Amino acid sequence: MDRICSKEKKASIAVYVPAESDFVLKNSLVTAWPGDAGEAVLEGCFPAQSVWAEVGKRLIRKRSAVLGLLLIVLLCLMAVFGPEMNRYTYSEQNLNRKNLAPGVQILEKTRIINEEETPEIKYWFGSDGFGRDIWTRTWVGTRISLMIALSAAMINMVIGISYGMISGYFGGRTDMLMQRFLEIVHGIPRLVVITLLLLVMRPGMMTIILALVLTEWMGMSRVVRAEVLRVKEQEFILASRTLGAGSIRIMVREILPNSLGPILTQVMLSVPAAIFAEAFLSFAGLGIPAPQCSLGSLIFDGFNCFTLYPYQIIPPAAVMVMLMLGFYLTADALREVLSLKR
Amino acid sequence: MKSYMLKRVITACFTLLAITLVLFILMQLMPGSPFNDEKLSVEQRLSLYENYGLDQPVIVQFFRYLGKMLRGDFGVSYTISKNTPVMQLVQTRLPVSVRIGGAAVGLGAVLGLALGLVAALKKNTIWDAAATVISVIGVSVPSYVFALVLSYTLGFKLGWFPMLYRTKEALNSSVLPAVSLSMFTMASIARFTKTEMTEILESDYMLFAESRGIYGPALILHHALRNALFPLITVLAPLIVDLMTGSLVVEKIFSIPGVGSLLVSAIQSNDYNLVIALSFIYSAMYLGIMLAVDIFYGIIDPRVRLTRD
Repeated sequence: MDRICSKEKKASIAVYVPAESDFVLKNSLVTAWPGDAGEAVLEGCFPAQSVWAEVGKRLIRKRSAVLGLLLIVLLCLMAVFGPEMNRYTYSEQNLNRKNLAPGVQILEKTRIINEEETPEIKYWFGSDGFGRDIWTRTWVGTRISLMIALSAAMINMVIGISYGMISGYFGGRTDMLMQRFLEIVHGIPRLVVITLLLLVMRPGMMTIILALVLTEWMGMSRVVRAEVLRVKEQEFILASRTLGAGSIRIMVREILPNSLGPILTQVMLSVPAAIFAEAFLSFAGLGIPAPQCSLGSLIFDGFNCFTLYPYQIIPPAAVMVMLMLGFYLTADALREVLSLKR
Repeated sequence: MKSYMLKRVITACFTLLAITLVLFILMQLMPGSPFNDEKLSVEQRLSLYENYGLDQPVIVQFFRYLGKMLRGDFGVSYTISKNTPVMQLVQTRLPVSVRIGGAAVGLGAVLGLALGLVAALKKNTIWDAAATVISVIGVSVPSYVFALVLSYTLGFKLGWFPMLYRTKEALNSSVLPAVSLSMFTMASIARFTKTEMTEILESDYMLFAESRGIYGPALILHHALRNALFPLITVLAPLIVDLMTGSLVVEKIFSIPGVGSLLVSAIQSNDYNLVIALSFIYSAMYLGIMLAVDIFYGIIDPRVRLTRD
């Protein structure tokens, strides 16, 4: 409705002369968002579309979002199917074939080779210091990193939403106490919390997820609280309350759907943050225990011999960069699309 | 304003106190003790505990430590460097981290500001696109991957900078870590500057300034950039603390003798006093900078003061 006085148009609105293009009706709705071409379109007379369908449409039209989503989907597929693509397993060691350079079997036949010098078995991404296949290990590592990051992001979302919602909605003393608590938790260096936790508990996936949840939930709850504060005073909340809705109903049915945008963006952003943090743990010597691997532990293993065998660190590092890129691009596009909605 | 500031300072002090108490409790949860040597008999261990006052209840230890802390004494190290005052250890490590982190923040802020400005002023041109690509890369490539790439290319292959930190060539060997740490800051600042500047350039007061005949650098620097700078501080402040207190991974890659690695080894060897001192410094810096930002905002922007009082 107020699209006609979008930011660019505000200055000139006093002398606005309707042009013919303003009355072009309609499939052009998608093309003519204020951000896109700066074109103003009358819109009030059309049946309301589902906001999320529209957001989806706009997202698909953004190149960066498509690229991001493609990266995520591709890497997820590889994480699922990649390890099965050749006959090695992630923990199978072959000490006769340590630190082999990457190679593909078919190419071998074109060269004359000495049987003893070059083994006929080839590893697509090479093999590591224990003679393990880096291809398989990279995708198994991707799988584990993704699982850790996604579970941590989901748990963070639940905790963050509950905490931020309660804190923002009830306000007053509750809010004050909860925010002080948040400040205290935030003030403790995360390294201390994580290291302690991993010393107390058995290292493994669950412990790492717990460590990431303990240190990352604050961001989400801040976002949610800010959203609640923004929405809470609006008229429709008052209307709902006048109609007799209770606090829980207002929180779940009124406030939550109206703050889904920033929450979704924050979730998308918290996944790469968790992947980053997981790798950080591996460098601190607190990562996933061998022979299991994650992207972080693979990068750390590769780092230990990266001047001698640089190819060992490239696959996990490249996958990690692509994964983070995918999530950031999508989150960024999502934020842009959703902020235009306001 | 005074009462607002006072309130903020007092809250921060109490928060710091609470953090220290939580740290003390966390130390109790740590498995093992600083004196894990198997050669020690039970009596020897008990006498060591008594010597360091570790046989007292936590709360007594806490208040004793607090009393000493107020006098600037953070206790002695138990395991990493026997009986050396903790502060002495910190004094050799902290400046390295602060110097590299400070350089990273400075570099990132300046480059990010420039990138963001270019992107906002030349919107929808090739410059804007280039700046956007650079900032996307900066956000999504982790600092340690940057560190590895730089260390392999500039350090190992070309040999321009040392791959490992040398105390004697502090300046030269700080370049690679500082650059790799600055990337994230640069990207965040660039993105933020761009959004802020775009909004400001479209605002009514810019139109007014322009219509008064102000043009060129005076218009951009004095009227636009000044207003964009203030919100930037909120983005920059938490980054400063994180970088100043050392990034463990980059420290490890370049084997920098910084506080991050010291903290991890302190935790792993149950060096209670060292862990508490380092964490305390981190928390104090964090709260201090946040407090400074808040107060600064209160001074420059009366609206903040009014809503918070």
